[in-house]
Amino acid sequence: MLKRHFPLVLVLAIVMLAVLLPFLLPWSYDQIDWNAVRAPAFGESHFFGTDEIGRDRLARLAAGTRVTLMVAIAAALVSLIVGIAWGATAGWIGGRVDEAMMRIVDGLYALPFMFIVILLMVVFGRSILLVFVGIGLVEWLTMARVVRGQVMGLKQRPFILAAEAAGTPSIAIILRHILPNIAGVALAYLMLTVPQVVMVESFLSFLGLGVQEPLTSLGILVKEGADDMDMTPLGLALPGGLLVMLLVCLTFEGERLRDRFS
Amino acid sequence: MLVLITRRLMTAIPTLLVIILASFFLMRLAPGGPFDGERPLDPATQAALQQAYGLDRPLWEQAWLYVSRLMQGNFGPSLVYRDFTVSELIAQGLPISLTLGGLAILLALMFGVTAGLFAAVRAGQVADKTIMMLATVATALPTFVTGPALALFFGLWLGLLPVSGTGEGGAWLIMPVVALALPVSGAIAKLTRAGLASVLKQDHIRTARARGLSETKILFKHGLRPALVPVASYLGPAAAGLLTGAVVVETVFGLPGLGRYFVQGALNRDYPLVLGVVTLYAALIILFNLFADLIYGWLDPRMREG
Repeated sequence: MLKRHFPLVLVLAIVMLAVLLPFLLPWSYDQIDWNAVRAPAFGESHFFGTDEIGRDRLARLAAGTRVTLMVAIAAALVSLIVGIAWGATAGWIGGRVDEAMMRIVDGLYALPFMFIVILLMVVFGRSILLVFVGIGLVEWLTMARVVRGQVMGLKQRPFILAAEAAGTPSIAIILRHILPNIAGVALAYLMLTVPQVVMVESFLSFLGLGVQEPLTSLGILVKEGADDMDMTPLGLALPGGLLVMLLVCLTFEGERLRDRFS
Repeated sequence: MLVLITRRLMTAIPTLLVIILASFFLMRLAPGGPFDGERPLDPATQAALQQAYGLDRPLWEQAWLYVSRLMQGNFGPSLVYRDFTVSELIAQGLPISLTLGGLAILLALMFGVTAGLFAAVRAGQVADKTIMMLATVATALPTFVTGPALALFFGLWLGLLPVSGTGEGGAWLIMPVVALALPVSGAIAKLTRAGLASVLKQDHIRTARARGLSETKILFKHGLRPALVPVASYLGPAAAGLLTGAVVVETVFGLPGLGRYFVQGALNRDYPLVLGVVTLYAALIILFNLFADLIYGWLDPRMREG
């Protein structure tokens, strides 16, 4: 278990650290230690040292990871809800409605979505709420396609036909008989959506269009690190490495889940 | 074939129009405008500016004017780069972005297809597993991490490659193109591997083997072409990904491409600039999808009627 699911264990360890560290560290992520600006790593009071204005790197890393993961989970849930609702409706009703709904998905796939999200950020201000709603609204397309396919397949199965013949209303069939049967596949794609969302969030934050200071996220930390990398490479290596590690682990686990269910 | 092209173009125009209008109205919904500076302008100046740029007219009239000017290739004036029109900025930035994107996709194809081919031939062996693991890692490498990391290592530490700007020769292209191509090549390697693995199990391959054709011939003549179908269908999303990636890479490496103007425009509320770039991006992606469809038809003749 531990060895086979090493990536998952690593992700869980990172999550635990991100949640617990703020309670254990004497420094908060936006607190400036005037006595230790640009402190080197592994010093007495700052484990990873401090950044160019004296903020504890480890505390900032934990805070950034927390924000990034929170945005990711919230956005992934938005995409899950929209995707399942859209895909299940299209798959269940079928026929013209299905065709029209899937055409819309196809059309949206072709749009330069990142740019539409950036437009949204510009228009409605760069609030964190909008970051995840915007990203979630972008990432539901694959979920909708997958769910629709599953529902189409299930619709012909005897137990669904039996439920229909017994006069169970459509809503009840979908909620009680269809959804439990697509939960596994939906979970796998949810797992694959999370790294996508992490990537989008960090991308936006890196460009200054996502999460805003004083709040921090891995994208912002990478940006700060990149601006200061000639002085302290650690500032780039820590958040960059952590971000890549999270993305790789989540992708591995998601792909394994997907392969198991399909 | 011609039918396919015309049909695609017929749907492309309304799609493009919807994108343009949606972005247009979205931009105008935004609170705050391009002339909000540190110090508020006096009302007369504000009104004059609004009038000069046509911002005082009703919205639908502005939209109509915008679209009709667009038809003539006139994207309007840039509000932030005051001495330039958006068309001039685009003409300046587009070649850089296209060079970056084009080279990146070529590199990714070369690298990805080779790696995928190699893995498929060694299916189940250590080489296969290693390549597939590396491919997964590559797909998870964000350009905004690899870009600065490459710049730090090869630019600042080793001093081999220029860190920013366009210079003499092509050396300035190397790091941006590699950073862009990495995630795409990972995805292509995976698709090639999966496609080839399923094709190699099919009857026509068995027939070819039974007839005593050499493995190389089977692989390249009969296996690779159908196996590349999933790769072709990935080219559309890949192009969109490259354009987004280019935004970061141009920012990181200080290249005056479209992406940089887009970010600057977005941060400064330069409506015409952002609209122009979005329109162009949309057109490019649609065009590239059409191109991918054509390759698709060439790879799999059954698709030509589609």
